[in-house]
Amino acid sequence: MPGSAELEAMIKSGELIESQREMTPEYLRELKHTLIVSGDTELISAPAYYLAAKRAPSINAFMTGIAIIQDELAHAHIAYHILEELGEDQEKLIFSRDPKSFRYPYAFDVPLESWTELVVANGFYDQAGFCLLGDIHDKCSYGPWKRGLNKVMLEENFHLRNGRTWMKRISAAGGSAKDELQRAVDWMFPLSVEWFGLPDTKKMHSLQLEYRLKGLTNDQLRQWWLSQVVPYCEQIGVKVPAHKETRDGKDVYELDYPFPCVFDAESKRWDFKQPSTWDDVLVRWRARGPRNAEMVALFQEEFHNFRKTHDRES
Amino acid sequence: MDRLWSALAEVQDPEMPVSLVDLGVIYGVHESDGVVVVDLTFTAMGCPASEFIVDDVRERLLRESGVREVTINVVWDPPWTAARMTEAGRDALEAWGLAV
Repeated sequence: MPGSAELEAMIKSGELIESQREMTPEYLRELKHTLIVSGDTELISAPAYYLAAKRAPSINAFMTGIAIIQDELAHAHIAYHILEELGEDQEKLIFSRDPKSFRYPYAFDVPLESWTELVVANGFYDQAGFCLLGDIHDKCSYGPWKRGLNKVMLEENFHLRNGRTWMKRISAAGGSAKDELQRAVDWMFPLSVEWFGLPDTKKMHSLQLEYRLKGLTNDQLRQWWLSQVVPYCEQIGVKVPAHKETRDGKDVYELDYPFPCVFDAESKRWDFKQPSTWDDVLVRWRARGPRNAEMVALFQEEFHNFRKTHDRES
Repeated sequence: MDRLWSALAEVQDPEMPVSLVDLGVIYGVHESDGVVVVDLTFTAMGCPASEFIVDDVRERLLRESGVREVTINVVWDPPWTAARMTEAGRDALEAWGLAV
């Protein structure tokens, strides 16, 4: 096992870490934590998307939705498979954890209830996934994960494509279809902005950055996401509460509402007149949202039912 | 006609890093008086990206000067097999990690 100075030098040199023998216990802990967040996020997107894909407007659209869900499950598998190689029990991680202990963004806990909401999720949430994973793919110091993400990036592109194509189509249809799209964007945009976590001013020290498990800070990732989403929404005629400014010769996206602010998950409404604190947000995230238990049960229940029957018969 | 094939060679499969021409799914392109007719197939009948492919082909061809209309015929005969891929297509998918 290397000392921390040795590991630090290796990371600084840009060399990749390939096995557990090359890690310090702290690096291993941080890597596992990052992989769990990634695996849980991909896994939970499957039930979240499935419950909305059922409302697809055509067989072809349903098939595309299901293909996306299949990709997400494969992406989850990459993260859990690496965790298993690092000594974790994949089966326990997926099937025996309490729903509240899953570590995925709060946004997935707010139900996607229509095809329109699903395609906005493809346009917004998959864009967030694209930024986070793209950064890991680009910078991650752990070789097996960095390489495992090659195919993932292309597949995320396909999901984004589905989101953007449909958002454009629905917006162009106008009338009540466009109103529904705007309503979805209104609650999903701020949830996606939150996805990237605490602002850099609140998070002084990041082990993930120190160990080069990722390369960009929360605010840098958030800016990347905004730079992709805001111009696209403006182009297709959808309103978003953010705008571009030029500061010191650089383009910066500014939010037009207090960040963070109060959200009511049941009515899917933000109160832009009521700012909140990051402590309030952390309390909301930790308590999880309306669909957490239902989604986890969707893959855990039948696993245990099958086990019971199977054990009785054998 | 070459310019239409070159245009189609720029259209990527939405799921894989390979062009539709290298994938071997374009069966024919004909143009007459600004109307282009494309015969194409998909690698599977249940292709989840079929709508995207049709949209992309139409959009790209309409960008060619003199093209005012594009008709796309989806055909299943002859059926697509991996043997229809070009060498470049095969190399691209192998580099991506797919055995072809």
